[in-house]
Order: sequence, then structure tokens, then C-alpha cells
Amino acid sequence: MQIGSEILELARARGAATIFVVGIGRDVGKTTALRAIYAAAAARGVRTGLASIGRDGDGSQAGGARPKPRLWLAPQTTFVTAAGALPRTPAAEIVGLSASISPAGRLLYARVRMPGYYELVGPPTASGVREIVDGLRALGELVIVDGAVDRVAALAGSNGAIVVSCGAAAAGTMAEAVDDVAALVARLCVAPFDPDAPAIHLEGALTDAQAAAFVAADERRQIVVRDPTQIVVRGRAGSRALALLTVRCRRPLTVVAATVASIAAERSFEPREFAEAVARATNLPTFDVYAGTRAA
Amino acid sequence: MNVHDLLDASSAHVVGFDWLARAVAPVSPYGERVFEALRPFGPGEESAAQARCDAIARCEAAMPPDRLDAIRGLLADLPDVVGALARASMGDALDDAALLELRRFCATIERIESLTAEYPERPVIFNDAIAAVGVALAPAGRDASAFYLADAFDAKLAAARALLGREQAELDAARGRESALAARALGRETIESDEFIVMRADLRGSLPAGVRAIREAPTYVLCALEYGEATLAALARRDAAATAVAEAEARVRARLSALVRERAARLDAAARGLGELDVLVAAGRYAQRYACVAPSLDAGGVLAFEGARFLPLEDELAAAGRQFVPLDLELRDAAVLTGPNMGGKSVLLQTCGFLALACALGLPVPAERARCALFDRIAWLGLGRDASIGGLLSSFAREVVELKAILERAAPRLLILVDEFARTTTPHEGKALSIALLERLRERRAVGMLATHLSGIAAAAGVRHFAVRGLRGIPHRPAVSEVAQALAALAEAMDYTIEEVGPDARPRADAIALTELLGLDGDFVAAAHRALSQ
Repeated sequence: MQIGSEILELARARGAATIFVVGIGRDVGKTTALRAIYAAAAARGVRTGLASIGRDGDGSQAGGARPKPRLWLAPQTTFVTAAGALPRTPAAEIVGLSASISPAGRLLYARVRMPGYYELVGPPTASGVREIVDGLRALGELVIVDGAVDRVAALAGSNGAIVVSCGAAAAGTMAEAVDDVAALVARLCVAPFDPDAPAIHLEGALTDAQAAAFVAADERRQIVVRDPTQIVVRGRAGSRALALLTVRCRRPLTVVAATVASIAAERSFEPREFAEAVARATNLPTFDVYAGTRAA
Repeated sequence: MNVHDLLDASSAHVVGFDWLARAVAPVSPYGERVFEALRPFGPGEESAAQARCDAIARCEAAMPPDRLDAIRGLLADLPDVVGALARASMGDALDDAALLELRRFCATIERIESLTAEYPERPVIFNDAIAAVGVALAPAGRDASAFYLADAFDAKLAAARALLGREQAELDAARGRESALAARALGRETIESDEFIVMRADLRGSLPAGVRAIREAPTYVLCALEYGEATLAALARRDAAATAVAEAEARVRARLSALVRERAARLDAAARGLGELDVLVAAGRYAQRYACVAPSLDAGGVLAFEGARFLPLEDELAAAGRQFVPLDLELRDAAVLTGPNMGGKSVLLQTCGFLALACALGLPVPAERARCALFDRIAWLGLGRDASIGGLLSSFAREVVELKAILERAAPRLLILVDEFARTTTPHEGKALSIALLERLRERRAVGMLATHLSGIAAAAGVRHFAVRGLRGIPHRPAVSEVAQALAALAEAMDYTIEEVGPDARPRADAIALTELLGLDGDFVAAAHRALSQ
């Protein structure tokens, strides 16, 4: 089984030209999943663009606490990095400058001419994410983003797909990891609102306090946010509140798959059991890139 | 642009400095540096200021708006190469991002050169260094907005890369063979990660050759591939080839950086020229957009204009679908201005300040004709200033403190614009203080205008008296009582013309009529009329 190829197929079947790989925390196998999808795209000759959007606790950029892993990229791949992170050798072709500035310098679009290891560096703002996704789309057929959950709004309402990664590094127990990924997927998969049904449209985010107030008021109307990233309820109480309310969005997101990383430095879960539990909890095709298996 | 010596922050705000600075702001970092360093011209610098005004006027006349916009578009997209030039001057080898910036810099200058060809007075920008660096970086590709350290830069680079390509392919093949063998032995189609999991249930016997265990658990083994001798030998050859490429690339960058270093002074000069052009083009576009003319700058103390406009208000009115009524004035010394409420007294003062400020900055002015002195201080007193001084002071005390500061400052050529000075004290004493102020201004030979509703000040101070003509008739109150409609009706009825009147002419106020127009109820207005007649 070629996991990267299967995930790519799932995304392409939904018409996705952009794939965001997001995680429930750090070291949950996002980059490994991205590498597998990228390798599958490169093997098919798909002109691919890569970008990374790190945030604290979700993989860091140059200038942050921990460096992002560098990726081995094939010729003709385009990617976004910072002027200060572009390796001197092998030389890459700089095909454009971005308006965004990162701690490692101005962001730029580069095209691989000689295969090698390259570092992806992303923009610090949501508008910057949109700019680089659009910029890479103009340069290729497929964009894969090592993403951050709070930046997937750039995909909302567009033909993008999300892959959610979870792993043993981000939770104390398997049950917690499964709960966390299920909550994240439930939040990202909020359905589009029904324009014919009564609704309360929120201009900003749906917070814990607002959700609690709606529950207390036994609110039955649709509570509509701009996109799923505007739902910022946290924890299990937040998840319960969401289950009691009819939360909908104006610009939905598409989650196509989950990946698992069952082994971490500090703990490990039984690989098959973990993958099957995630598949059951999320109702998504769930892949273990490390084991080369799919649970569904 | 630093105008602190010419006017304080509050006066600058009232006379529209912020608006003007935005209207003439350059778009490139080169222009911003020149703009930041600009200082107002003062008395004695009339020739230089006139030359700048005339140059801007010739620029806007020589180049149509779309040409100036095209130049500004190019300038706005330009990266700043000053840092790269500094690094090259200090002996650094420039990286590819810096070389791209330099390439775009040179290419943009060539394009600007062609766009400004019909304007002979343009700042000198293009020079031999721009040409040389542009040519040296041309092998980077046809598109000047991209950069690649291409094989065309150096024959040895091409050879080194070709070898690296072959060695990499051999390494990939060797590694691929070993990975495929391991995958097959494990019953998998492929291995997609550096570390991978083998389930014990799937493992028949021990791990195959080339696979080592990293971590073992009861149900699985975490593994990694171990490369054989053939792959390790291919890896060594690939690494040697990669080193040769790195050295060849570094040589090309060093050579290009040395070329930049040798021409850094000329490139810097081009960057400065680009900044001057940016500032010139911004001012030229402002002059076009707002139909400005070069004033005649006068060594005497005069501020005279015909058809002048206060652009910040003109913009605001245009947004509301209304037009600014242009103003005429000839002011040579201290004078009094009277007129009805909402007759435009404050706007006339602001227009005076705006034009005097534009002249001091060497900019064309929004008027049909203008003659203006250069002042070493423009001061605003009275209504309109913010309360930046003395939060504990009353408005009258604050005005007095501000007046004291204005009068104490040595300014041989002062323009002072006074809007209803001492309006918060008794009319009797307010009038006396206004007269004293005008007498002091006359003694100092200052140019100034004092707007007031009090009568008899001009005659008592022995100064000229200007007045706004005022309402032609009392406009009808609009059927729907909305302020915007009332203002439109008022503007229609108001004659904003400024004319010199006799010193004793009584000021008009029309205040009661205005209260009715602005929506106060009829009983209130009738009571006011009764009180006035008693």
C-alpha cells in the first residue's frame, strides 16, 4: 500500500488543489505525512508547491524554538522559504518575492533545480497564508502545506482538503489522543448553514463563554460562524456544548483523512489499535505512514 | 519630512500637513529616505524653493498621469538594495536573494529610464554601473523578476552540476534497490518514511538484511534502513560531487559580489537618484491630481492667491458629493476676518496655512494663481488646536499659554492664523485682547489673520478688515430635517467670497437663521428673535 498515493487520491477525488496537513500537536507525524503525499505527487509528475505554516507548539519556523525538518525536494518543485533559510547550495531558482516577512527574512518563492534538502518557512499572518497559497497555486498544479489548525481558514470555501495528523507525542493516553483528534475533526467538519432556517450569525469567534450562554438559553437556532476556525471552544466541556448546539459555518472545510504516529520518544501506543480507534472516532480513512497500513 | 521648525504639531494638523504629506509621499524605500530628509525652505531660500516648485510643475506637464502612475508602480515594487550594497562593500559574498534584488533594481532603472526619456530634467539614475551589473546578472534567466545561478554563469558550474546529477541518480538507484528489496522482504509495496513500523504478526522470522531495529515492543518493531556498501560508496561520490557544485557556485557568487563591490558607489548614486525621482514623481502626480500651479515665491511678506482650495476639505466635500468654493485673498500684514457662522472663516485661515506650508515645502499649490512669501514660522491659535497643552488649564488659559509661546519664539517672518481668539471670555475683554494681539503683530511686521465675530477690532487696531459676504438669503428649511440636507441648502445659499470692507463694517452672524435651518424648533427660534429685538 502506498499511503501517500492513497491520501493524494482522496484529496484529488474531492477536487482539491491544496492540501493542508494539520496536527493535534507537535511531533505527530505531519511532516512524514506531507513527505508521503509529496512523494506520491512527484512520482506522478504533478507540479507541486510546498509551504509551511508553523506556530508555537505546532512546529516552529526559523527564528522559533525548534527548527522545522528540512525536506528532500525534487527538481521543478516550488516552495516558500525565507531569504535567510534558502541554502546557498545547491542553488535554487528564486521565482518571486512575497510581501510577507518572517524572522528569517523576506519570504520568497523558489523552484528546485537540483535535488536537495530545503527548509520551508511560512508567513506569520493569515493574509500571508492566503497570499502564499495563491502564489504557489499560480506556479503549479498542487499545493501541499505543512499547516497549523488556526491557519486553515485560508482553505475555507475553496477547493482545499485537510489531512489531520495525531500521535502519541501529543497526548498522555491513547484515549486522550483519540478524543482530541475526534474533537478537532468534529470542529473542522462543521456543516454549511441552511439559509432557509433561523440562524444567529456571529461576526467573530464562538467562544467557550458564548457557547455556554447559548446552551443555558436552550438556543435552537443555527449558530453560524464564518468558518470552522472561528469555533474556539476548548476541552471536553466545549465539545459537549457543541454537541448540544447547532453550530454551522458560512465557508466549510473538507477533511479527507487522518494519519497516526503511534510511537513517540516518551510513549507509544499499539499501532493498529490506535489507527482503528482514530478511524472509528473520526469516521475518516486513517493511515499509519510508518506501518504502511490503512484502518477504515 | 520634518517640519517641526516651521510649525508645531497642532498647527500642522489644523492646516493639513498630514494630508499633504500623504498626498506627496513616495512609494519606494529610496524615495522614503529622500522624503524623510526634506526640510522646509525658509526666508532667503526663495530661489531654491521656486526652482523646486517649477521643476515639479515641469515634471507634471512633461509626463501624463498614466506615465507617472506607471513609474510609481515600478518604484513601489522595487526591493531595497541598500543593505546588499553595504554587505558587498564590506566584502560579503551576496546570496541569491540579494542578487535577485540587484537584478530587479537594474532592470527597473532601465525601464524607468525609457519611461522618463521625454523629461530631460529627470534626476540622473542610469549609469555605467547599472549597465555593467545588469549585463553581469543577465545569465540568471530571461525574466528579470527571477534569479537562478544558472550554468551560463560559468562553464565549470555546468560540468560540476552534470556530474552531481549523475552521482545523485546512481545514489537514488542504489538506495531505491535496497529499499525495494527490504520492502519486498517485509511483504510491503514500499517504505515511505525514514523510520517505519513492522508488526511482529507480519514478520516471518527475523528482520531482513538491510533493516535494523531501533525500538522493540511486544507487538511491533520500529525499524530503519541500513544501507549497504554499494549505496555508501554512491553516497560518498555524490557528496564529493555536491561539494564541487558548492565550490563552483560560491566562486560565481564571489565574482558577482566583487563586481558589485567595485561599483557600489555608482550603484548607491543610482539609488539616491531613484529616491529623488520618486519624490519628484509623487509631487508631480499630486500637482496633476489636484490641478496645482507653481506659486510665485516672494521675498516680501505677502500671501496672495486666486481660486485657492483647502484640499483636505475639498476631498471631504467631494466624498459627500459637494464642491469646494475656491477663495481669493491678498494678505500683506495683520488683518481681521469677519463673517457669518459657517461662512468659511476657519477654512480661509486653513487655506492660508495650507498654501504657505506647500510653498515652504517647494510644492505647487492648489490655486489658479498664487504669490507667497516663505515664512520661518506658521502658527495657528484658537479654535481647532488640540488640547495638548496643559490639561488642567481652562481653554482661555491654554490659548494664552500658546500665544505666549508663539510671541516669545524668534521668528522674523511669522504667519499667524487666529481663529476666534479669546472667545471664551467676555466680549469686552476678548475684543481688547484681540486688538492688543493685532497691534503686536503689526509691530512685528507679521503676516496674520484674526477671524472673529466681535465688531470694531480692525478699526481699533488700525488693520485691514476682510469679510465673508455671507448668506444671499435665508434658505428654506428642508422638508426632511437632516443635517446633510441642511448643510447642502446652506452651502447653496452662502456666498463665500472674501472682500475687503471698511474697518468699521459690522460682522454678520446669521446665527439665529442657522439654528432654525439646522433643526432647532420654531418656538426656540422665535424666542431668540424676541430676545434679539429687545
